[in-house]
Amino acid sequence: MFRHTALRYTALVLLASGALFQALTAEYFGLEILTEILILAMLVLALDIVAGFGGMVSLCHGALMGVGAYAYAILSTKAGLAPPVAMAGAIALTGATGWVIGAVCARSHGIYFIMATLAFGQMAYSYVFEAPIFGGDDGLGGISRLDLSLIGVDLNDSRSFALFCLALLGAVYGASVLILRSGLGRSLSGVMHNEQRMRALGLTVWRIKADVFGLSGMIAGLAGALAAQHIMYISPGLLSWTVSGEALVVVILGGLGTLVGPLVGAAAFVVLKHELSAVTTYWHLVVGVLLIAVVMSRANGIFGWIEARWGIWVERRVADATRKQDPEEVTGDA
Amino acid sequence: MSHDLGFWTLQALNALQLSMLLFLLSIGLTVIFGLMHFVNLAHGSLYALGAYFAASLAAVGGYWAGFFLAPVAVAGVGVLLYSGLIRRMRKSGPMAQVLVTFGLIFALLDLTRIIWGDLALAIEVPALLDGRVALLGVEYPTYRLFVIALGAVIFAGLAFVLGRTQIGAMIRAGVDNDAMAACLGINVERLFFMVFCVGCALAGLAGAVAAPLLSVTPDMGLQILIPTLIVIVIGGLGSLRGAVAGSLIFGFVQTFGAVLAPQLASVLIYALLAAVLVIKPVGLFPAKG
Repeated sequence: MFRHTALRYTALVLLASGALFQALTAEYFGLEILTEILILAMLVLALDIVAGFGGMVSLCHGALMGVGAYAYAILSTKAGLAPPVAMAGAIALTGATGWVIGAVCARSHGIYFIMATLAFGQMAYSYVFEAPIFGGDDGLGGISRLDLSLIGVDLNDSRSFALFCLALLGAVYGASVLILRSGLGRSLSGVMHNEQRMRALGLTVWRIKADVFGLSGMIAGLAGALAAQHIMYISPGLLSWTVSGEALVVVILGGLGTLVGPLVGAAAFVVLKHELSAVTTYWHLVVGVLLIAVVMSRANGIFGWIEARWGIWVERRVADATRKQDPEEVTGDA
Repeated sequence: MSHDLGFWTLQALNALQLSMLLFLLSIGLTVIFGLMHFVNLAHGSLYALGAYFAASLAAVGGYWAGFFLAPVAVAGVGVLLYSGLIRRMRKSGPMAQVLVTFGLIFALLDLTRIIWGDLALAIEVPALLDGRVALLGVEYPTYRLFVIALGAVIFAGLAFVLGRTQIGAMIRAGVDNDAMAACLGINVERLFFMVFCVGCALAGLAGAVAAPLLSVTPDMGLQILIPTLIVIVIGGLGSLRGAVAGSLIFGFVQTFGAVLAPQLASVLIYALLAAVLVIKPVGLFPAKG
């Protein structure tokens, strides 16, 4: 089950205040980058729930995000629904898509699960690419943002939009913690650790997996709807499998199964990408080598590494304290 | 729809040619997986490297220099990858392997861009294979027939080696139960290494063969990766029969789908893959029962 430690709280407070500071002080370009980070953070939270706590390494989360983005675009422009309704519709639709994918793939494990999700993601990609209603290769434009003028907020201003995304990310984080602490979340980690035993205990394993995948899909759908509103234009590239792969890279870079780590990873990844692409066009090379190094080091990403170091430090301090209290017992043992 | 016989022959040949190209790629990937339980997403990048090596060598020594030397060069890259990365990743879970090889895709993609640039390269078809041949009432490019024949020859060769020779028996034993094979005195580690190199060489060969048909671009490895993965998942990981069956299914579904139901063509193959995964999660012809 997911627990908050002092270290995780500290990291969360640091991240939140950093984002808030950036949102209040940055200029246009800084705000765009911040919004990009926030939306990516939402997507990788969704991915960490299934991959880090359920062992379901998904290569279709980019596609799920794309489904959310396209659903929002179609519902708000072509179907003429009000943006809030369109957004709710997009989230529901992506959640349903995620549920179906989760249900169908529930029997597969390991590499087969990865392949199966990849197949579904590519299926969505090629469908969007081919179907004329989605604008094909040209994508769709003219997507409007949510209208919050009722409470005096103009989301077309990038500062308000960044703050809006930040608030939503906070809500999504809270929801993720609630999901993981609920009965469903606990069953999920049971399934990850010993599926056979959970089945023997009478749980319907595929339902658990599908439900969590559906919830994760809803978060990805929200991220997609926000991404569509952010750039106000979408193209099939959003659904490409490399987006899912990058999301997985971010989760790994940050720390799988820590929920806080992927947030760190998202910030690090986007900043790194922008800094590197300003210097060289070959930033993929650096990211690739970094990824290989992180995985080969066997540390659980940036945050996982910090947590492990922290754990060792705390242990040493406790050991020191007991030695001071009880010097004879320790020397007696040795 | 009314099409004459020639049309169907043409489409069937196109499908066969695509299948054979995919077969060259997927056989290496699938045997590496079956034997080593290693998922090499960078297999497509090795194919792209093969095409680039072939393009460079062809510019110096003509097409056949590229054809024969590119697989060797790619196998050399395979040796480097094996000793640097893959040997250490052998015991890791599938996710770590997927991620490391995903990182390799990124790195190799940019390395090819640094070395060969962003522009597409092209190779001339050798004079011997230039032109067209009349076959069953259609005129078909000789080079594409050569690709089909090459695939068939490689298939026959592999079927012979795997099914009839001692090395083949050792490989099959390793795929079936590597611990038991090691107990029987087979140097499984060396076998892995050999198979990995041969798989890389075949990927390089596929790249060299595909170079005159497609243009050589840095992302050609990414484009071929997904079809290759579909082939081995439909066919079943680790088996020669699976690789052939998967390649043929993919080639024919893709080619005929594009002709008969252009709207559905691209979704069709993924739907088929999903159906296979649901009904037979381990593929049609898995190496193990």
